Amino acid sequence: MKKKATAFDYGLMIIFVLISLIMIIPIYKVLIDSLDLKTAYGMKLFPEQFGFAGYISVFTNPTLYRPFLVSCFTTIVGTFTGLTIATLGAYVLIQWKMPGRTFFANMLLFTMIFSGGMIPTYLVMKAIHITNTLLVVILMPAINVYNIVLMRNFFEGIPASLFESAEIDGCSPMGVFLKIVLPLSKAALTAIGLMYAVSYWNDYTHYKLYITNDNLYNFQMKLRSVIMGSDLPQAIGGATENTVKNAAVIVAILPFMIIYPFCQKYFIQGVNIGAVKE
Amino acid sequence: MNTKKKGPAAKAAGSNKRPLLVSLRYYKGFYLMFLPVLAFAIVFNYLPMFGIRYAFYSYKGIKEPVFVGLAHFEKMMKMSGFWNAFGNTITLSVVKLLLNTFTAVALSLMLNEMKSATFKKITQTIVYLPHFMSWVVTASVFTLILSPTSAGLVNSILIKLGILKEGIYFLADKSWWRTMFYGINVWKDTGWGTIIFIATLSGINPELYEAAAMDGAGRWNKLRFITMPALNNTIITVLILNLAKVMNLFESVFVMQNDAVIQVSDVLHTYIYTQTFNSGALPDYGYTTAVGLTASLVGCVFVMVCNKASHKVRGRGIV
Repeated sequence: MKKKATAFDYGLMIIFVLISLIMIIPIYKVLIDSLDLKTAYGMKLFPEQFGFAGYISVFTNPTLYRPFLVSCFTTIVGTFTGLTIATLGAYVLIQWKMPGRTFFANMLLFTMIFSGGMIPTYLVMKAIHITNTLLVVILMPAINVYNIVLMRNFFEGIPASLFESAEIDGCSPMGVFLKIVLPLSKAALTAIGLMYAVSYWNDYTHYKLYITNDNLYNFQMKLRSVIMGSDLPQAIGGATENTVKNAAVIVAILPFMIIYPFCQKYFIQGVNIGAVKE
Repeated sequence: MNTKKKGPAAKAAGSNKRPLLVSLRYYKGFYLMFLPVLAFAIVFNYLPMFGIRYAFYSYKGIKEPVFVGLAHFEKMMKMSGFWNAFGNTITLSVVKLLLNTFTAVALSLMLNEMKSATFKKITQTIVYLPHFMSWVVTASVFTLILSPTSAGLVNSILIKLGILKEGIYFLADKSWWRTMFYGINVWKDTGWGTIIFIATLSGINPELYEAAAMDGAGRWNKLRFITMPALNNTIITVLILNLAKVMNLFESVFVMQNDAVIQVSDVLHTYIYTQTFNSGALPDYGYTTAVGLTASLVGCVFVMVCNKASHKVRGRGIV
């Protein structure tokens, strides 16, 4: 049923262009300013005095590139740890006849409703001596019950006959997990893996609470202090203070801006595994 | 979680009931595989729950905790800072939730009416984008844009247009901060919020619209009698699911707040944070634990109410 576009359709298009502009302009403005070496700012479409000095300042300054590497490291290791926990948990939760399964499930679900709270958690982490190590920021976000539930929803869709035949062939539980469940769950692994990656890359709260050694800060922590002006890196090559600030913001979002167009459908899938499932 | 449901593995295990011991041996491998998950849950979720007892102790981290009974709760009730934070938590969360849901529904409906698939796709790609930016990045972007200096985009435009004489420091102005907070939240999460509504909208049988068109229904009547009824359940579900998280507000507020706007922006978790780590004096972990426990319990009540509501509306709980 294809009709000619009406005034209503053009109206919608104009609204969408406006909404898109509202979404893009703040980011675009930061991008432009990060490439502009002049200090006089207003709204303009292109940098007045184009230059990469802001980015060079970010990447040559050890107080800034070190946090960047910390972010990369914790994101990679954390995503892997998170996926391990989520898949193992989900796999056990679909063993409906396993004695204790209901107990385990309820034990995990209870943590979604009630938690010890910020301070008791802080005291425990201090007591077991993992504050001020990267362990706490890698391990703590790895257990995410919501992700376990998402993964379980996905695992439930694997045909039972596959489990049966694998068992007849003498496959151990671990064997079934590695040879059947994981290879069949690539879409879910990508979707949930990306969710973990975003949350590790964007993590600020865990660092703020548990890390006081600034050698272990991630990029978000550093970006925050740069923007607040308390820890401005030396600007080099003609970059102004403002250029460096803007460049730091762009560096913080760059990794996801690059992969986002390719991964959009997996992100959306992640939302829908949780939402559509009844 | 539905425990009566039979998963594939259950069938693989055979449907006859086994004696417990045989069963335990059969599932040995699975218990082993659950061990890491169990360890994580115990260390990061359950051990901290034992720390809740500090709410009844005075504990400054150097000397042994001293039992003080309900003293912290009595102190809390008298603190204006606590009540201020409590009220702010509810106001900021609830208004944010309603605004975000409303804008997301409106945008989904508009996207649904869009005939050009390419146009729709591009708009979706753009509006989802801010969701992936961390709160720190979001706050940074808006701190730069709303800054009162000549570098601030909004102020420089308003001054150029003659609306303002001099720049307003939007994020450090008590009368502006909340508006900015809601606006930034809408900017960041409206797009992402549309995904779930669009999924529902795409599930509506197109024959319904065709039949309605045959009966002479226009755009408005189709919206009123077909689209909205189909969407209602999803809207309620989204509201319920998010209402359960009302007390969790922390990071988004924390990175946007500053001393000038504490009164309108302080929420329970930022209150706990500053009382513990930024108070200047030696913190009493007992007091802030008590405040945290109160927040958790109120949150629990919200979850239970929402769970009940969820059972009523859609026949299943929220977890």
